[in-house]
Amino acid sequence: MQEISLLLAVGLNHYLILSAILFTIGLSGVLLRRNLIVVMMSIELMLNAVNISFVAFSKYNYNPEGQVIVFFVMTIAAAEAAVGLAIIVSIFKRFKEVNIRFFEHLKG
Amino acid sequence: MSMDTVLFWFLSLIVIVPALAVVLLSNPVYSALSLVMTMVGVAAVFATLNAYFLAGVQLIVYTGAVMVLFVMVLMLFDLKHDLQTFSRGKVSGFLKIAGVGVMAGLLVGAISLATKKPSLIVEGSPLANELAAAAASGADNTKILAENLFLRNMLGFEILGVLLLVIAVGTVALSRSKGGTHARD
Amino acid sequence: MNHQALIAILLLAPLVGFLINGFRFRSQNYIAAGSIATSALIISFICAVILFFELVGMSPESRTIKAEFFDWIAVGNFKVNAGFVVDQISSIMLLIITGVGTLIHLFSIGYMHHDKGVTKYFSYLNFFIFNMLILVLGDSLLTMFVGWEGVGLCSYLLIGFWFSDSAKAAAGMKAFITNRIGDAAFLLGLFILFMSFGTLNFHELNALAPATMEAGWMGAVTLGTLMLFIGATGKSAQIPLYVWLPDAMAGPTPVSALIHAATMVTAGVYMIIRLNPLFVSAPNTMMVIAIIGAATAVMAATIGLTQNDIKKVLAYSTVSQLGYMFLAVGVGAFGAGMMHLMTHAFFKALMFLGAGSVIHGMVDEQDIRKMGGLKKYMKITHWTFVMGWLAIIGFPLFSGFFSKDEILWNAYSSPRGHIGLWIAGVVGAMLTAFYMTRLMALTFWGKSRVDQSVHPHESSASMTIPLIILAVLAAVSGFVGVPHVISEYLGHIPNFWEHWLEPVIRKLPEVELQSVTHSVSEEWTLMGTSVVLALSSATAAFIMYTKKLGSADKVANAIKPVYDLIDNKYYVDEFYFGAIINPLIAQSKKLWYYVDVNFIDKMTYAVTDFTQNTGKLVKTLQNGNMQQYAMYISLGLVAVLSFVLMR
Repeated sequence: MQEISLLLAVGLNHYLILSAILFTIGLSGVLLRRNLIVVMMSIELMLNAVNISFVAFSKYNYNPEGQVIVFFVMTIAAAEAAVGLAIIVSIFKRFKEVNIRFFEHLKG
Repeated sequence: MSMDTVLFWFLSLIVIVPALAVVLLSNPVYSALSLVMTMVGVAAVFATLNAYFLAGVQLIVYTGAVMVLFVMVLMLFDLKHDLQTFSRGKVSGFLKIAGVGVMAGLLVGAISLATKKPSLIVEGSPLANELAAAAASGADNTKILAENLFLRNMLGFEILGVLLLVIAVGTVALSRSKGGTHARD
Repeated sequence: MNHQALIAILLLAPLVGFLINGFRFRSQNYIAAGSIATSALIISFICAVILFFELVGMSPESRTIKAEFFDWIAVGNFKVNAGFVVDQISSIMLLIITGVGTLIHLFSIGYMHHDKGVTKYFSYLNFFIFNMLILVLGDSLLTMFVGWEGVGLCSYLLIGFWFSDSAKAAAGMKAFITNRIGDAAFLLGLFILFMSFGTLNFHELNALAPATMEAGWMGAVTLGTLMLFIGATGKSAQIPLYVWLPDAMAGPTPVSALIHAATMVTAGVYMIIRLNPLFVSAPNTMMVIAIIGAATAVMAATIGLTQNDIKKVLAYSTVSQLGYMFLAVGVGAFGAGMMHLMTHAFFKALMFLGAGSVIHGMVDEQDIRKMGGLKKYMKITHWTFVMGWLAIIGFPLFSGFFSKDEILWNAYSSPRGHIGLWIAGVVGAMLTAFYMTRLMALTFWGKSRVDQSVHPHESSASMTIPLIILAVLAAVSGFVGVPHVISEYLGHIPNFWEHWLEPVIRKLPEVELQSVTHSVSEEWTLMGTSVVLALSSATAAFIMYTKKLGSADKVANAIKPVYDLIDNKYYVDEFYFGAIINPLIAQSKKLWYYVDVNFIDKMTYAVTDFTQNTGKLVKTLQNGNMQQYAMYISLGLVAVLSFVLMR
């Protein structure tokens, strides 16, 4: 019966698990992909996963603060994407490629 | 099976499958388009959680602004397939996948453990009733958000504005500079 | 002025001289360096004289002046003060060291004036005096040991003074290493004595010693004193550790006079006299000392017969005379040993300085075969040398006669003496008379064999004045201890020496138990025998080396095997090399190869390799690969999460 109720009655847990899955997919992208732009996209995925859990908590705990945080997170994500892409552009200018291994040059 | 449930499972599919595609497809353009799909899905998830305003913002900011930025950069580079989609190294690759898998399991475990505990807000308390009443209508939801944002988190909001300004200037500076500090040519 | 300050000045004057000359060691101004060093010694000498007369003014039983400056070591029950004591024994040593030292410093000004390292030389010399004073004044074995090591160091520095000559540097090392063997035994002796008595203070040790003998508790005392004696054989050049002293002649001649004849080499004798109650409690040790002393006296004298280097002859003579001193203390005649120490310091310092004067006048020629007839060129040197010669061969009424006769008489008459020891002593005296006369004859008398290019000349006043003073001392100093049998004919001269030392010398217990009386005629007979034998052997040598020059070679050819054996110094050095040094080197090389190279080095390499490999391994963590950094973050997250969940 447990399985059926899990399937039928959607609650906080479902959203959190959705968020967790999305987060891990994003994390694996960050860890495994070599294209910098795709890495950036994976970071966006992780941020969105966190956003989902915030909103879910906000709804199930009747607390609007969660939505405010999401608002902030989205703003920061947009800014981060802008800066990240600018860096990617300069890396591309320098090496004519957008592989993450060029960041190894940052170790000095 | 209620409508909400059907919607949740459908949206989960819409979110997760393109997300996998983002990570797995070797052509970054496809990845970008899959990401758009995910974003739209997330916006819809927000809507099912009664966060209508955030759903709109998600659509505008992510699907509109951020993704356009991504795609534009991609077009700028004119990238086809990556020569190497995934990073090399068997040991580290195994460690990464194992780490991610274990983490997923741990997260799920943590969630199931955490929600067994009683909610922070006690059912039937005045606060809970007020919040529930407020949450009942979508318009009020946006109003509460606005009040929260502009009255209680005013400082954070303003700082965010300044941050955005700095970011705009910084981005322009970054993309215009030639070579950076370690320039050799 | 109180005694403490006097002793402090006495000790510190040479140290200050050493520091001043040590800081300006590059200077080549020999007058400045020499006068600083000599005046430091004169100050010390004046202090020593004042202290001596202070002692004379005291009653015979309480003749001690103590000075304790600071607590040196305090570990649990083990306490050592930097304490110094002037008593009957050490005051005599003080006078010898500072007096003879002053004269030798004065001599060095003339002798070393052409040397580039003259300031360094004088600073070493002053430092030697400082250490020697610590050795003599120290009121415990440990304080003495400090001086003991210090004089060893100075001896090493001064033997190897001309270190650019590798043979001389090697001689210095030989002296140092040989002394080190003795010093190790000395330290062991210290440990044994401290374990047995719980103190190293001379006064306390000497007070405790008689009781142990009555308690029949002898093993530790015998072993401890034996170890101390081995230490003394190193420092005082006795069998089996005498080999360094002849090589030590590589140093400047005044150094040979001061360190290797008059003062440092007598440290072993001094130490035994200082601890005489303890040594009396160990009859077996005394027997060993007497036998080794007699054997050394004869053996070194035979080697002296064949040497052709003027300093080497004197060096073997020193070893031989030190043997006499050990013979004396071995039979319990500590006063006679002390007296011979003093007279020997005078006449041997005189002869070394005379040899220095000859070497100086001959422009660094040391081979007596290339001398001869120097009498007419160097009058003062010759006549002073004659005084030393008469003293050492025991010509009646010269200083060596009294002290040597006293030793020989005691070797026979003492309860711990033996007729065999007396015979050995007389044979040694004959040999001494022979080789010293040979030295005189080949150097000063007979026909000149000097190379045409060399023009011998008399030395300057700074060198001849010390010679004259020492010659007077060598001639007359014996009258401080005239034996009773002789003094009867010389107007009853009292035996100052015996009275002076009586309170600090412990009588042999056998003397108290059984009163063995020796008749006066017995003493006269023995004395007459030894004097006649010595004088006739001197006469024989005189004839052989001045009148019939070829006869010596004939004798040498007649006993060729024996002559070769002696000429090669009994192959002792070769034996040491073959039996000890070379096997040690071979073993060390094996140890070096198998232990050091193949084990320790490999071990350290393993450690470094391990470190390096670990570093390389860990370095890959910091390779700048961003994704790996992200991986570490996620793995850390996994760890934290699992910890939180599993808790």
